[in-house]
Amino acid sequence: MNLRKPLILTVVASALVGSLAISSISASAASDPGVSSSEIVLGMQLPQTGAASPGYNKVDDAARAYFDYVNSKGGVNGRSIKLVVKDDTYKAGLTISTASKLINEDKIFAFFGSIGTQTHVSIIKDINRRKIPDIFVNSGYSGFYTDPKKYPTTFGGLGTYTVEAKILGKYLKEKYADKKIGILYQSDDFGRNAVAGFTAAGLKFEAKKTSASFIAGTQGSIGLASQLSQLKANGVDIVIIAAVSSATAVAYATASAIAYKPTKWAVISVGADATTFQTILGSKGVPAATSAAMLAGTISASHAPAPGDATDEYVTAFKKINDDFNKGADKRWDNNVMQGMNIAYLATSALMGVGKDLTRAKLVAYLEDNGSKLSSAAFAPLGYSKSTHEAFTGFWLGEYDATTLLAPIDGKRVVYTTDSGSGAVTVSNYMRPAIAADALPKVA
Amino acid sequence: MTPFLTAFFSGTAQGAIYALVSLGLVLVWRSAGVVNFAQMGQAMFTTYIASQLIQHSYSYWSAFLIALISGAALGALVDLGLMRPLTSRKNSQLLNSQSMRTTIPVIASLGILGVLKALAGIFWAGEERGFPSPVAPNAIKIGDTSLAITGFDLFVIGVVFLTLVLTTIFFTKTGMGLAMRASALNPEVTRLSGIKVGSVRTLGWAISGIASSLAGLLVTPRTNLSPNTLDLLLIIGFTAAVVGGLSSLAGSVLGGFILGYVISFVNVYSAPENVFIAILAFLLLALFIRPQGILGSKEVRSV
Amino acid sequence: MSKVKTYKVIGLRSTLLSLILFLFFILLSKQFEPYNQSQLANIAMLLIAVLSITLLTGASGQISLGQGAIMAVGGYSSALLVTRLGLSMWLAFILAIFISALFGLFLGLAAARLSGPYLAGTTLVMALAIPSIAVRFETFFSGDVGLSVDYGMPPEWLTNLVGEISIEEWSLYVVLPFTAVALFAVLNLLNTRTGRTWRAVRDNEVAAALAGINIGRTKVIVFVCASGLAGLAGALYGFRGLVAPSVYPTDLSLTLLTAAVIGGLRSIGGAIFGTFVIVFLPDLIEKVTKNFAIPETVGIYLPALTIGLLLLLTVILNPRGAAGALEHIRHKKKH
Repeated sequence: MNLRKPLILTVVASALVGSLAISSISASAASDPGVSSSEIVLGMQLPQTGAASPGYNKVDDAARAYFDYVNSKGGVNGRSIKLVVKDDTYKAGLTISTASKLINEDKIFAFFGSIGTQTHVSIIKDINRRKIPDIFVNSGYSGFYTDPKKYPTTFGGLGTYTVEAKILGKYLKEKYADKKIGILYQSDDFGRNAVAGFTAAGLKFEAKKTSASFIAGTQGSIGLASQLSQLKANGVDIVIIAAVSSATAVAYATASAIAYKPTKWAVISVGADATTFQTILGSKGVPAATSAAMLAGTISASHAPAPGDATDEYVTAFKKINDDFNKGADKRWDNNVMQGMNIAYLATSALMGVGKDLTRAKLVAYLEDNGSKLSSAAFAPLGYSKSTHEAFTGFWLGEYDATTLLAPIDGKRVVYTTDSGSGAVTVSNYMRPAIAADALPKVA
Repeated sequence: MTPFLTAFFSGTAQGAIYALVSLGLVLVWRSAGVVNFAQMGQAMFTTYIASQLIQHSYSYWSAFLIALISGAALGALVDLGLMRPLTSRKNSQLLNSQSMRTTIPVIASLGILGVLKALAGIFWAGEERGFPSPVAPNAIKIGDTSLAITGFDLFVIGVVFLTLVLTTIFFTKTGMGLAMRASALNPEVTRLSGIKVGSVRTLGWAISGIASSLAGLLVTPRTNLSPNTLDLLLIIGFTAAVVGGLSSLAGSVLGGFILGYVISFVNVYSAPENVFIAILAFLLLALFIRPQGILGSKEVRSV
Repeated sequence: MSKVKTYKVIGLRSTLLSLILFLFFILLSKQFEPYNQSQLANIAMLLIAVLSITLLTGASGQISLGQGAIMAVGGYSSALLVTRLGLSMWLAFILAIFISALFGLFLGLAAARLSGPYLAGTTLVMALAIPSIAVRFETFFSGDVGLSVDYGMPPEWLTNLVGEISIEEWSLYVVLPFTAVALFAVLNLLNTRTGRTWRAVRDNEVAAALAGINIGRTKVIVFVCASGLAGLAGALYGFRGLVAPSVYPTDLSLTLLTAAVIGGLRSIGGAIFGTFVIVFLPDLIEKVTKNFAIPETVGIYLPALTIGLLLLLTVILNPRGAAGALEHIRHKKKH
């Protein structure tokens, strides 16, 4: 020990000196990462696998399909758009690592379409601090968007749950004033946000009587049946569901198992994906015709055309691009695929609008100043301004018909708009511009 | 339906599933002296196999049978490939320490769980699927009112009791069952009396594998199937086994139903968010008041 | 007289080894670019948690599948102290150690009479139940959305001294001192009489009791120490960006145990090796599989499969872990 001590000390000392002598990593280069003369690199994180993945794991392939289409037509100002995707299995601990990878290894220009509220909370502060654009986030959590001073580079890609709940809630309250309205929600931020929104719309819920919850992700293994039974026992006639699509499917199946037939179901758009609904029920042995009948009459809201609407020009155009360019494992056309293509369309518009001299700061500024003028498949414009970065502030209300198509209530599409605060719900008079013949955005 | 009745029927239905899981755990414990944390992983895996078959137009019952057979095979494989080498000569050095002898198999079973989940992901993309039930999941009607219990739930309860009866008969009345209990209790002496301890243990794992598959097939109609949905069941099943008595088959079933009621009543009278905490509290309570379980026998520690 | 000298020597050795580890990490980080620097930081903080398993399971033979839950306790303690009481991050980390140790005291009192599968199962239930408390008491703990906390920016005096450093490197600098101190503590604990007492309890409780060791008290003390470590790791882990239930899932506990086993349950060097493997393996696998046309869905699960297989192979073929194998080779060479 005595002989080794001086040796160890020498080694340690030289290592110390040596480490101080090595210069540290220099600051970033002159231009922003992720932009070259030939390419723009966008990064996306989502649950490609795991409990939260059904349906959502199609968004990235859909977006990439649209970008590939754009690239085939010459790209944006001569640059092709590349989408790098990482799977975070909806765990916030992993999101931090995948974000770091995207930023440091893949050197993305901007985050695009990140899916998941919980997971995004873990990285939003860091992304904004590094001034990386965080565009078209696929989360309806208003807290991300309503304070641009806090999160200057984050922009929404989905209408907030609060807005949707206010609009849906007002309609239900007025139309079914004489019936008992209850809610079944999953006990996480999404579900609770929705409840808050409905409460803001004036609906009152009483725990265990008209309000039932289940642990998010458990999908019925713990007492979903007893929760629904309680609603049934208390005479709840209009049931709102604020849960993901796979849970919604289980809820419907459970309700039919306990012979619970409320007059109306109303499902928040995030959980109303008809394809997932039918797939889950199908694997339980419920034939497609039966599950379609179960869904018929359900009320939901949307900001975009129903995916099954064969008369809508955006649907037709996007569907064709999906058929031709989508290389994903599952490319069946549905809400998720359409959302992916729609935000890709918007991202393309924004990148076009900034012009040849593309920097992160310029993209952020462009979105804030011009976002509300951008058109897309949605029936409401983006609500971007200096005071809020909320996405679509308008929803129309529809009912599912016997073919799982969401059709406007009473046949006429009325788009309502409101804010994520205490503002009133009013009718919007936004007219959606037509899509160009080549399905590419036209930006001045 | 009053809240009480709702909670009661719901608890009975859920309790049957927990009883099945708990039964499987106790089966391995009694025949191999190991608590198999990979049990629900095995259940998940074999249910995916059944799901694949059904998707390729096999009938439900043939898929059911194949799932049970693969469950037995998987269980036997775990024993042959993992547990036997573990208890062999080379490793006795590490297993000399008392605590390690019970710890290492637990760690090994966790390894299996991880591998099975990853394989489920690779083979079937870990996607969430529904699973059909053999009996229509419609509520039982008495006159005009429908109870919060379905024909399928009754079917499950029937299966649980049938399994309990069959396994009890096996363990107490058959020579093989007796040999299994003996080899778990004292492998050295049992080997001396000419019984092939190794094969007997493998059989125990195979039987437990069948029970696991059964649990998977019967629970997924309600919960959907994905690599992680059954994890919660393991935790609840384990608690049930401890409450009822890890050394008692009947105890495991009893524990399962008790836990079913506890969870159901907490769900209905308190809030779903309290369920996990309630499970932990109940487990701790059981361990404090009666660590050997309600129907378990007190372990005699030899010095 | 000789007893004092032994402690002095042990103490000196521990200090030296901790210092070497500290410098090793810093030197390594200088060669790396930001993403790998953040990985190094992850290793540094998870190592503290893995060391808690080395103490608990390796040294005293008590298996815990719930270290992740204790990490959550540490994470929430420090995050709440910073967000609600405005304390400095450093003070919050130190207090988190004590709060977690206190939690470990209660846990130890409950768990000391459990062993084997009972202890494993109970700690697993705990791993599930503890994070759910945050959802249950949503207003206080911020539910699923969690508490947003981070390490802040590198202070001016440091950037003036060594030039500009990336945010990732700064996170490493925040974590490393704690890792070094944790290593120092563990080295001392295991090489002194305390460690011998723990190992005696692990190997044969009856004999230990006969030798005059208070079994119950020893077990509780180990829980307290292990919980303090795990809590510290959890606090550091949370400040990567978020403290929320989804940051401390049940598989975190299993991952830590896997790292400890692969490296060698009873060895500190093994803990270091195991943590490096757990953190770097997924990236390594990705680099290798990039050359083959492997479908995405398969590639995502390869790291989990590899680590699971590694665990199984370790347990069957080489239960002493990598460290044990090394020792075996050294032994063979000597003879």
